[in-house]
Amino acid sequence: MRFAPSADRRSVLDRAHRGDVVGAAGRVLAVDTAPRPSRRRQVATLLAVMGPGVVVMVADNDAGGIATYAQVGQNDGLRLVWLLVVLAGILFVNQEMVARLGAVTGAGHARLISERFGRRWGAFALGDLIVVNLLVLITEFIGIAFGLGYFGVSRYVSVPLAALALITVSGTGSFRSWERAMYTLVAVSFVAVPLLVLAGHHNPAVAPIPAAPHGPVPGTVLLVVALIGTTVAPWQLFFQQSNVVDKRITARWLSYERVDTAVGTVLFTGGAVAILAACAFAFSGTPFHGAFVNAGTVASALRQRAGGWAGALFAVALVDGSILGASAVTLSTSYAIGDVRGTRHSLHRRWGDARTFHGSYAACVVASAAGVLIPGAPLGVVTIGVQVLAGVLLPSALIFLLLLCNDRTVLGPWVNPRWLNTVAGAVVAGLLALSALLTLTTLFPHVALGWATVLSAATSAAMLGAVVGRRIGQPDIVVSGQTPPDRQFWTMPAIETLPPPSRSRSRTVGLIVLRVYLMVAVTVLVARLAQLIAGS
Amino acid sequence: MKTGRAHPGEEIRLDEESAEQLADAMYALSTPSRVQILGCLLKGACSVGDLVRDLGMEQSAVSHQLRVLREHRLVKAEPVGRRRLYAIYDDHVTELLRAGLRHVEERKRPSANSSKRRLAARDHRS
Repeated sequence: MRFAPSADRRSVLDRAHRGDVVGAAGRVLAVDTAPRPSRRRQVATLLAVMGPGVVVMVADNDAGGIATYAQVGQNDGLRLVWLLVVLAGILFVNQEMVARLGAVTGAGHARLISERFGRRWGAFALGDLIVVNLLVLITEFIGIAFGLGYFGVSRYVSVPLAALALITVSGTGSFRSWERAMYTLVAVSFVAVPLLVLAGHHNPAVAPIPAAPHGPVPGTVLLVVALIGTTVAPWQLFFQQSNVVDKRITARWLSYERVDTAVGTVLFTGGAVAILAACAFAFSGTPFHGAFVNAGTVASALRQRAGGWAGALFAVALVDGSILGASAVTLSTSYAIGDVRGTRHSLHRRWGDARTFHGSYAACVVASAAGVLIPGAPLGVVTIGVQVLAGVLLPSALIFLLLLCNDRTVLGPWVNPRWLNTVAGAVVAGLLALSALLTLTTLFPHVALGWATVLSAATSAAMLGAVVGRRIGQPDIVVSGQTPPDRQFWTMPAIETLPPPSRSRSRTVGLIVLRVYLMVAVTVLVARLAQLIAGS
Repeated sequence: MKTGRAHPGEEIRLDEESAEQLADAMYALSTPSRVQILGCLLKGACSVGDLVRDLGMEQSAVSHQLRVLREHRLVKAEPVGRRRLYAIYDDHVTELLRAGLRHVEERKRPSANSSKRRLAARDHRS
């Protein structure tokens, strides 16, 4: 074993973020940064490092995700399945950037925003994150209630039990146990495959049952934005960056972390497409087509169309995804709070050893669980509405991400290459355009937006973003001595010692405009949501 | 289980948990601005305002570092009237700081004792 000179040099905000990588399936010693010449060593290292990417991606198929895929499949058939593949690409680009930020800087996304864009932006981002995450967490508990409700479990039993399980799993003080629990949930999520097989071979003799009453069916544009909102969620950025830091993955292991993210992306796409296609196959040409109500009704409709096993598998997938999502979403909140405040925030720490971290986690879980149990809450509307809200809030997080990934003080030799800026610029601008369209349709519900309008707006915005993204990056400075081994050990200096960022006026103005736009968009959405709830 | 030898004959057994806790305390001392704050507090309890004046740091930075120090139980906060005064947590912390200071001062100004030791080390190596 070769002792690397700078194995342990990365600055951290919690001492527990420094040390050996202790993954669910292996361990890498902090001092062991030697090259991996043999395929066997490479695989062993990958198994140890693997985790954050797989967890964040599979957790994306959570309650909101599954409900939206089912809705798209039930109402539109396979027409939108290509969108999932595009979204998977977008996800990979985003998550690779946050994983890189985490590994190189040792700080979370919220902290970096607060250090590089000022405390106010940091507090704003953190506040956004906490609110959106609380709402998302409510949807996860709704998913659990629907899923276990299919098996006849009362929500007054299932929701408190799930909350207890969530709190227990993260409080063990062992990163490895937490990750193993998450892996188990990832393994269970493969039930989507037999579900697809069953739905594909459904028994045509089963008589179609009269359609369920129509719920509020949002227009296609709203549905597309909801699909994007549920798939590209802000908590994912915050979660993976902090989880990479907490897992003690440094720049030395970034290539392995990229593979981890790629594997996760494949698993995500497989799961999402399987559920969408299963609902499309089972419901096409039946009265159920176009009659989505909520995830609970999908399960019982599947039972009628494709047999009891199909309904049960869908319910299991729903519960499983909801628990996985709930854990990751809540952790992203707790990580961000500890990160910004400078208090301990690590899964390596036990309950009493990191009170703010575990306390805020428990508070979020208990509050949302209680919210679900309030009688008469309009649960189905909340599921979709929340995802739309997250889709609107996402662009700001992405703009910060893009700017951070071009900050040479933060990422040194790891800043975005120019081609990636072009791609990421297109992604951010495209998402911004979709958010704008959503706001427009919500403000003026009579404006019927066709597919042509949506596609052309998103595409032209993406092209504009690509041009802007190309210009963001500084020209590649070739520093002598920046040979690959040096790059592997480059780390951000301690966060308190960073020189202030060079302030360009256009950047500040751009950010203010963005925030004002987002505030207006959120207000309009909330108003529209309230109108929907009151009207239904 | 790790075993460290302090003095010949005296053995300190450090289990993993104690080692973790000690490493945490040392982590809290691993940032110069936090050490400076502790140095100020050695003279007696201070308010945030006093520390800002003495150290010339930003108030938000001082508050932030005090939060870290409090979480690691190196500093405690006491309400005195309407103000909140911060003080060294207990005698151990004072001892730790003084010992640490002696440790680095000795290296800075080599005393007769330590230069003798360095000479001995050189002899040993050759």
